[in-house]
Amino acid sequence: MTHWLTTTDHKRIGLLYFWTAFAFFLVGGLEALLIRAQLARPNGTVVDADTFSALFTMHGTTMVFLALMPLSAAFFNYIVPLQIGARDVAFPRLNAFSYWAFLGGGLFINASFLFGAAPDAGWFGYANLTSKQYSPGLAIDFWVLGLQILGIASLAAGFNFVATILNMRAPGMKMMRLPVFSWMTLVTQFLVITAFPVITVGLVLLMFDRFFGTSFYIPAGGGDPVLWQHLFWLFGHPEVYILILPAMGIVSEVLPTFARKPLFGYTVVVYSGVLIGFMGWGVWSHHMFAVGLGPMADSFFAATTMLIAIPTGVKIFNWLGTLWGGQIRFTTALLFAVAFVSMFTIGGLSGVTHASPPADLQQTDTYYVVAHIHYVLFGGTILGLFAGIYYWWPKMTGRLLSETLGKWHFWLTFIGMNVAFFPMHLIGLLGMPRRIYTYGPELGVSHMNLVSTVGALVIAVATLVFLYNVWRTARWGARAGNDPWNGATLEWSMSSPPPAYNFSVIPTVLSRLPRWRTEHHEPMRDPPEVPPAAVHVPSGSWWPLVTALGLPIMATGAVAHTLGVVLLGAAVLIVGIYRWAYEPSRCDMSHAHTPHSSTHYSIGVDNRKLAVWAFIGSECLLFGSLISTYLIYKGKSLTGPYPHDILNIPFTSASTFDLLASSLMMVLALAAVQRGDMRWARIWTFATALLGLLFLAGQYYEFSTFVHEGLKIDTNLFGATFYVLTGTHGAHVTVGVLWLLTHWVRMLRGHMPDAITIEITGLYWHFVDVVWIVIFTLVYLIQ
Amino acid sequence: MTATYLRVFAVLVIVTVIEVGVFYVPTFQSFLVPMLLVLSALKFALVVMFYMHLKGDSKIYTFLFGGPLVLATGVLIGLLLLFYGALRLRAGV
Repeated sequence: MTHWLTTTDHKRIGLLYFWTAFAFFLVGGLEALLIRAQLARPNGTVVDADTFSALFTMHGTTMVFLALMPLSAAFFNYIVPLQIGARDVAFPRLNAFSYWAFLGGGLFINASFLFGAAPDAGWFGYANLTSKQYSPGLAIDFWVLGLQILGIASLAAGFNFVATILNMRAPGMKMMRLPVFSWMTLVTQFLVITAFPVITVGLVLLMFDRFFGTSFYIPAGGGDPVLWQHLFWLFGHPEVYILILPAMGIVSEVLPTFARKPLFGYTVVVYSGVLIGFMGWGVWSHHMFAVGLGPMADSFFAATTMLIAIPTGVKIFNWLGTLWGGQIRFTTALLFAVAFVSMFTIGGLSGVTHASPPADLQQTDTYYVVAHIHYVLFGGTILGLFAGIYYWWPKMTGRLLSETLGKWHFWLTFIGMNVAFFPMHLIGLLGMPRRIYTYGPELGVSHMNLVSTVGALVIAVATLVFLYNVWRTARWGARAGNDPWNGATLEWSMSSPPPAYNFSVIPTVLSRLPRWRTEHHEPMRDPPEVPPAAVHVPSGSWWPLVTALGLPIMATGAVAHTLGVVLLGAAVLIVGIYRWAYEPSRCDMSHAHTPHSSTHYSIGVDNRKLAVWAFIGSECLLFGSLISTYLIYKGKSLTGPYPHDILNIPFTSASTFDLLASSLMMVLALAAVQRGDMRWARIWTFATALLGLLFLAGQYYEFSTFVHEGLKIDTNLFGATFYVLTGTHGAHVTVGVLWLLTHWVRMLRGHMPDAITIEITGLYWHFVDVVWIVIFTLVYLIQ
Repeated sequence: MTATYLRVFAVLVIVTVIEVGVFYVPTFQSFLVPMLLVLSALKFALVVMFYMHLKGDSKIYTFLFGGPLVLATGVLIGLLLLFYGALRLRAGV
């Protein structure tokens, strides 16, 4: 048990993700069954309206954030390091933290059921349904705080996998030799680290509305509920690709293996994936045509939405080209992969119909949209994930799932999903709105609803068949051997399941299909069973778990409006981080005779620096969203004080000089560390922290003065946007000061930090400085 | 290297003085916004290039920072256009 709680092994963490996410998948499935039971007949009485609202909200939230994303994460964790020829991810303990934070967030949201306060405003929580006025209980508080914890988990994983895939590839594993699944994982992580900060800002603003009386989304206070829609869908549409790109990657692995052909147009498939990720940022408002954005905005987003279908269509033709002329083996994995292609095509095409604003206005908020999303996320993501499960199960467990039961599972799933979701197109076009808990027989959709419910039950039976297959395989499943499918990629070159160190010898990759014979290359030789030299394996640690535990404790305190519990959670978090950061490095020597590091950095840079730059990139979106909010609400305050009444330019100019000077101190500290000058390193580090403290003192003075002059956070939109923006910056400065003081104290104790440690602290510090440069101009000088 | 850091700091201070100065001078009010944006961008670039060493460091960092920065700027401009600008235009308005 302890091994699982303290594990930092990417394979074990992958399995933890898998089983946790699958448990949530079953929970979300049960919620779906209750929804379908209620709608099986007109005037259904299985559940009441309030329960129905909670069910569809939690079904969507659970499936998107607690089942599909983490099921993809299970494969990222287990498979990506194996595919790229790495011994583990770049940051094994951060990886463990991501999992525990995900588990904490998932349990926290679902704990709402215990208090009769399950979230009930829909999975995209539109304002102002989520306001205190319309949702006065705890339900939305659970949702807001739980999603923020899940966001932290996803972001931490995002930085980790960006560093891993860019920098931990085996020698010779160039980017254009990377397996497509690893490529799509990389694109997905870029989407995660750029999209999640935007929803974080959306949720933080909602949290301030609910906890501190601001009016970001409340029209009575001058706020605009449409801002929530923008922030949500700026995240929400990339999120669709976060959900589908991993499945596309899986299918791009499965089809070539079982067609015995290389992927048709590898380069085009990769570039299409990258293009989808990029273009996914320019289509968000097609979710909002019904808002009435105007003909120009509608035309723009209609065009971009149609354009994004092109790279997706290209991929579909490449998958068909891969199958064409291949020696196809109809395994269960292949069936799921082929079904993915066809079902996702249907979902994609119904998506293109939303690109036309006049058509979309007829479809919005009807069951047609429900049909579309389920063809994309069930027909696409879930079928793709099942293809991956059947494909990689032998690698993960050492046993082959029964093909007979697998085919039963496949056909029942395939038939069930079409029976369940296809009628929804017609139900929607006939006028049945989604999210109503019942309907009358006069609507003429009773039979189709019954058919849909029968389909849902068939899916449930299919899932039971899968679970039986898993149980049976664990006991009597055939041994898989290293490579039951004759796969082309590196994960098939080792035992199943792989040893703790993955590769006894890090392979050198000469081909895109290293284990297949190609025109120019013989198949690579598999690494030996026993490592010829000792291998470093990261040791386990309790601190990622402890650190992650701090988050739900803080959230519990916030829901209970108990500051003491919030502070307790913060204390757990901070103690966890410090103990984690300074935990003695130990080597698990169970697989080695002497310690030996064989880390290979593909692009020759330090992982920590790479991850910090990825983090800083992510922060651009966080502050970008906050600054956008400030500018959108500029001049919209219904009452004073207004910026020109209250902002003190001379005082803030002095603060700006202070922060600029701190940046100078920081680079001088780095220069001192680089030349090994401990004395001046100490002095400059302390000077930087001191100037940071001075800036914070100035901010405290400024805030106190403003409050005294009548500008509180809930006074008007200026107060709300000003305090949240500058307060977030101040919080960043506080973290920086703590970080610097920690270095300083350690230097006083004689620990000379390595230059890279000071450099990454400096990068963070300078970024905080450049954010202030922007704030100073946009908030203070341009009034 | 230290000399470069000091020179950059001197430029940052001077540009900040100019920013605050033009804020108070009525003559500049008509083009205050573009002028402040340019000066701010200059300071931003100086810190990023010299203090964060992006000028001489691996290109991958420029990509990791520059990509999201462009994205964030695009989001900001897009939202402002949707709330205030050309995209806000409606038929008959």
